[in-house]
Amino acid sequence: MASPSSSMNPPSPGLKTYFKTPEGRYKLQYEKTHPAGLLHYSHGKSVSQLTIAHLEEKQASQGPSAPSPPSSSSVVKSAAARLFVGVNGSKTFSHGGTNGGSKLASGTNKFGGTFGASTGSSSSPAVANYDVKGAYLVFNAGDTLFISDLNSQDKDPIKAIHFSGSNPLCHAFDSEAKDGHDLLIGLQSGDIYTVSLRQQLHDLGKRLVGAQHYNKDGAINNSRCSCVAWVPDGNGIFIVAHADGNLYVYEKNKDGAADPSFPVIKDPTQVTVAHARSSKSNPIIRWHICQGSINSMSFSADGVYLATVGRDGYLRVFEYSKEKLFCGGKSYYGALLCCAWSPDGKYILIGGEDDLVQIWSMEDRKIVAWGEGHNSWVSGVAFDSYWLAPSSDGSGEYSMYRFGSVGQDTQLLLWDLEIDEIAVTARYHPHGGSPTYSRGSTSAHWESVPPVGTLQPPPSMRDVPKLSPLAVHRVHVEPLSGLIFTKESIVTICRDGHIKIWARPRADDDNSDANSEAGGIVAAHASKDGRHAAAAPSARANGSGFKQQTASAFARN
Amino acid sequence: MVMGATVSKLEKALGEQFPEGERYFGLENFGNTCYCNSVLQALYFCIPFREQLLEYYSNNKNVGEAEENLLTCLADLFNQINSSKKKTGVIAPKRFVQRVKKQNELFRSYMHQDAHEFLNFLLNELAEILEKEGNDVKDSPGPSSQTEMNVNGTVHLQDNGPKKEPLLTWIHKSFQGILTNETKCLRCETVTARDETFLDLSIDIEQNSSITSCLKNFSSTETLNAEDKFFCDKCCSLQEAQKRMKIKKPPSILVIHLKRFKYIEQLGRYKKLSYRVVFPLELKLSNTVENADSEYSLFAVVVHVGSGPNHGHYISLVKSHNHWLFFDDENVEMMDESNVQTFFGSAQEYSSNTDHGYILFYENLDGRN
Repeated sequence: MASPSSSMNPPSPGLKTYFKTPEGRYKLQYEKTHPAGLLHYSHGKSVSQLTIAHLEEKQASQGPSAPSPPSSSSVVKSAAARLFVGVNGSKTFSHGGTNGGSKLASGTNKFGGTFGASTGSSSSPAVANYDVKGAYLVFNAGDTLFISDLNSQDKDPIKAIHFSGSNPLCHAFDSEAKDGHDLLIGLQSGDIYTVSLRQQLHDLGKRLVGAQHYNKDGAINNSRCSCVAWVPDGNGIFIVAHADGNLYVYEKNKDGAADPSFPVIKDPTQVTVAHARSSKSNPIIRWHICQGSINSMSFSADGVYLATVGRDGYLRVFEYSKEKLFCGGKSYYGALLCCAWSPDGKYILIGGEDDLVQIWSMEDRKIVAWGEGHNSWVSGVAFDSYWLAPSSDGSGEYSMYRFGSVGQDTQLLLWDLEIDEIAVTARYHPHGGSPTYSRGSTSAHWESVPPVGTLQPPPSMRDVPKLSPLAVHRVHVEPLSGLIFTKESIVTICRDGHIKIWARPRADDDNSDANSEAGGIVAAHASKDGRHAAAAPSARANGSGFKQQTASAFARN
Repeated sequence: MVMGATVSKLEKALGEQFPEGERYFGLENFGNTCYCNSVLQALYFCIPFREQLLEYYSNNKNVGEAEENLLTCLADLFNQINSSKKKTGVIAPKRFVQRVKKQNELFRSYMHQDAHEFLNFLLNELAEILEKEGNDVKDSPGPSSQTEMNVNGTVHLQDNGPKKEPLLTWIHKSFQGILTNETKCLRCETVTARDETFLDLSIDIEQNSSITSCLKNFSSTETLNAEDKFFCDKCCSLQEAQKRMKIKKPPSILVIHLKRFKYIEQLGRYKKLSYRVVFPLELKLSNTVENADSEYSLFAVVVHVGSGPNHGHYISLVKSHNHWLFFDDENVEMMDESNVQTFFGSAQEYSSNTDHGYILFYENLDGRN
């Protein structure tokens, strides 16, 4: 996959290949990109998103589960489905690259390839003979879904899957998938596919193979898919959010030919959940959540709560299986673009068009702090679940969190959140000790925990403690669209689908860093031994920095 | 016009949702008058402005042959659109454009003009006419709101003297805000505040930033030192000082002008900055003295199309009754809200995308509820 042109990847002047944090340097390890010539998409329309997929060494014994998807005759009508007519079992089983001529054309389908056939159980045992175990980056750019090897130096993707007619926009991987289908893909047209990632890696063609197709041609909802997710421990249940504020629940491998006939939405401002009348229907449930797009959603790690954010600026947290709104609130202003849970499910990060990273507390059911530091919209947020709080005593209780955010300002920011500080400031000094703030409704912010099932108005600027980032780094030339923390690194992606992998600081090169790279605040803190160095002194420094921030926030006139 | 009796494309597109009483008219271009058309569309869909202007029209239409001026020409034009039997179509703002050219030689040529300069000229001109008329008619509703905006003694105010406040016209009531320029002497720490009014904010822009961030920079603290010291009245000498601009009274209609045309000294000419500057559909001002949390909503954008300052084209995007519309001289089309983002600018130079948001119109939502 030779790059026909380098015009899309100009050398990036002024972009450093490392950045410093209290615990040491993060260094640019790998860059991933895609062939520029493939992009003929309309500017700005499609934004690259990133999914990391870990493929385990798969045992040959796949459960006999996974009902073969019924291939209904209605399928062939669909333009998008025509793509897959050429897909047939034989390709999937052919080993060792013998299927070099994998140009898929509908005419060559000797086996009368049933659309979406050979999914799941039938194909995986054969597939499993290949060693494709490893970590993969799945990302979309234009009309193509790319797959790259996370741990190789190779810049180019190992696989490109073209979609004709519509662009893939969002995707999700289910590492717990019981059968072969673990990759979920949502398109601009509203169409949705599930496939086996393994199977795509074995196939040499440029089309999706062995796919199951849902919401064909947008028959149920033709607005853009904005976000897709597998329901944790859901046995193949997945949800798809659309740009029109609706979210659908699907069952994997269930044929969706039946007309789901959901009732008309009477009041688009209200949340309504409707179950399909027919048991044959797929999707099985429709949630109407908001007016305008649902921009992002995320399940808490235990799968109990589902958080959504959208164009209307609201974060909504639902008790997923109860289908009930639990809590939520409005951004400071503008749409919200991203959200992420803390590993322990106590906090949610939200970011959006107010340039803020806000921290929502599930216990307080309100915003407890916000981070100021981005110079443009915040497009991605994530907690670093691998980062060990320096002060953590092993009790399992977090008192400090590390998180990251990326924005359209092309910057990656890292933050520390120390809970005690916030709690003290917020609960015991609701007015910042200053009588000038006691007017109006603003002070009500801290007085009580709002009742379950209600949405909070935007926080007032003077009520919310402010955080400052501990690291600010310009990582790409283009606006960023996402970040993921892995055990070894931070992975960032920009709008155009360029990826950078930032290796975490290593304990053994901290000393040299501190000594060689002219002092500064960071070097001063980064003492002796790697991770622990971040512990007492520097973390305190951060904490106290935050305290000052908080204080000044309240003292501000 | 080819419209005839048939229903226009726009009417079809809107169907039942066509807002009652609303008119969507394109404006004819008389040779590079798109700077004027784009601004007029934005102002037409600035509802308080339109309502006042139509009221002015109905109050003055029977006054007889009053002298024609920019205000009467604009009122005529707005009334012509508003009272049209048809819901859509094209109107030639001929009399208005002629009047503009008569009044200001800057706009007389057929050269490409700056839409912001035109907006500024127009608002000031209209306000001046109204002030004049207001001084003639003494019993007009007085500027009562003026007294309410007192400062709550936190900053030492420079004595502005017993200068008579000028009449606050409806132009001022809609567009005028007050900036306060705080200068703190670093020796005696005295803060001197000087107020100035504005009808729009011209802000410097940066690559890959947001309006929020540009506004923050606008108000960021600047140190006056070396050659540029500040004369402190208390110290009676030049001193180092810190200066910052804050918004003391946010306007009800906030017009933000992005300084996309920058003089580059090395080139000896102006250059267009195609920077990507995102603007949210809702906005709050962080750099205010008070009312920090009052919310604005975007309702119009004047877009400059083209790569240079001396040529190109202007179009406007307008939000009307929760639909976005695209006005390109005669042409009016529906637009999806998500397309607003295609006018943010380019993250890298030399992009093929040259349609960039240039003047943003936000309305304050607080007065509504």
